[in-house]
Order: sequence, then C-alpha cells, then structure tokens
Amino acid sequence: MGNAMELAATDDGETTLITLQETRIDAANATYFKDRMREVIADHGKPVLLDLCRVDFMDSSGLGALIAVLKGMPPGLTLTLCNATSNVQRVFKLTRMDSVFRILPSHKQDETG
Amino acid sequence: MNPTDRQKADSGRPVGYRLPPVFHRVLPASPLAVRDTLCDVRARFARSAPPDTLGRLELVMAEVLNNVVQHAARQSGGLPAQKPLSIHLSILRTRHGFACAVTDDGESMPNGCLVPHDLPDSEDSGPPEGGFGWFMIQSLTQTLYYHRAEDRNCLAFSIASAQPA
Repeated sequence: MGNAMELAATDDGETTLITLQETRIDAANATYFKDRMREVIADHGKPVLLDLCRVDFMDSSGLGALIAVLKGMPPGLTLTLCNATSNVQRVFKLTRMDSVFRILPSHKQDETG
Repeated sequence: MNPTDRQKADSGRPVGYRLPPVFHRVLPASPLAVRDTLCDVRARFARSAPPDTLGRLELVMAEVLNNVVQHAARQSGGLPAQKPLSIHLSILRTRHGFACAVTDDGESMPNGCLVPHDLPDSEDSGPPEGGFGWFMIQSLTQTLYYHRAEDRNCLAFSIASAQPA
C-alpha cells in the first residue's frame, strides 16, 4: 500500500469520470496519484470529473498533487471535483483552494458530517 | 507502553477504573509509518471524539509528522539514513479536545516554523502546490509550543473540541 494508486476511469463520450479507489491522498501516495492522474487524463483527452467519494483523508501533500494535476490539465480541458467528504472539504476551505477548483456540491450525505 | 503492558499496569487498579483515552506511539520517520499511525489514532478515538474534532486532529498530526519526515530527509541529504529518526507521539483526549506532544531526535527545527504563516502566494504558473502545512497547523491548533530538550525537538499543541468562531 502507498505505492499503488488505483483509479477507475469511465468515459461517457463527453467526459472522463475518474473515481479514486484509495481512501487517502497523503504524503505516501501523492506523487503516484499525480502521475496516474496525468496518464489517465492524457489517454482520454476529455474534460475530467474526479469523484472523491472514497477519499476520507487528504493532507497538504494530497492537495498539492491535486493542484499540480489542475495546472497540468491539457489546454481547453476542465477538471471538476465531486463528492468531497468533510475531511477533504476542510482542506479546500481552509486553504481557500475551494475558489480555485470547480467543486460540485455533494449529492451523497457524508456520514462523517 | 504497549497494550500488554498497559493491561498489566491496569490489573492492579480498582474495578471500574477507566483508563483515560490516551494514544502513545514510537514510529520511524517514514510516510508509511505516519499513515499507519494516523489510521490507528483515528481508530483509537473514533468512539470518544466527534468526527469534526477527530478530522482536525488527524490533519494537524499528519502535517506535523510529514514535516518531521521531510526534515529527516533533508538532514540525511536525500540518502538513506543510517538510522531513521525516531518520532514519539502522545495524544490525550481531554474534556476540551486533544492535548498532543510530538518529539523527534532530529536536528533543531528550522527557525521560523512557528512564526505566523499566511497562505502561500500564487506562482507565475498558477496556484501554489505547497507551503500549506504550517498554515493549516497554526489555523487548527491552540497553544502551539516548541522547545528543544537535550537532543530532541518537542512540539506540543492542543485541538479544541469545537472550532472557535
């Protein structure tokens, strides 16, 4: 664990939906996360919706990796985040990066409140 | 104290005595050891602390421990250290939240870590990709305190149960 970074990517024709299978984006896997995301995004070449519903912890390394992915998006393609849990939302809000990312409001009730 | 020792120590106490919710751990300065420790901290306090308080504790503890790991890597010049830094961690659940102490046997913490940190500035290429750690630690802690004792760095802080307005 830590070195692997499982992503599930599906393509609905217009958007690549990427669901992160890991429960954490932290210092142990942030680099792998960034690299895998860039590969998948480059392979599909479409706007990306990243589903974070399984991620119940993210630290500043994880945030940095997400920012790097955002900055590395191919020209013209957007990155949108969805289903951020409360622990992930806290990091975005605290660092004011919620104003930098496109974040869809959660449709699932987050059990951690 | 490992769980077995704790049980032994506890066996002499009166029936009904409840140990205060405490977590102790000694870990090497590595990202995977930090992750395992954070998962154990969460499991330890899941039933005695509200999710929001626990979430803030985990985030602060992650940033503090990550800093020690990065500091250790700088200290060894990126080479594998002969002996990895050893981190000692204690967390006490209090009426008001958590009281925490983290010590390590690395070189002195760089000056300036505890001066008030703002959010990092944007870079030419867009939003910053790092520099959030100390800002988050300072934002989410109360009574953040550092001292150097013998050959150890000691960082103590508390996390309040309810986020101050």
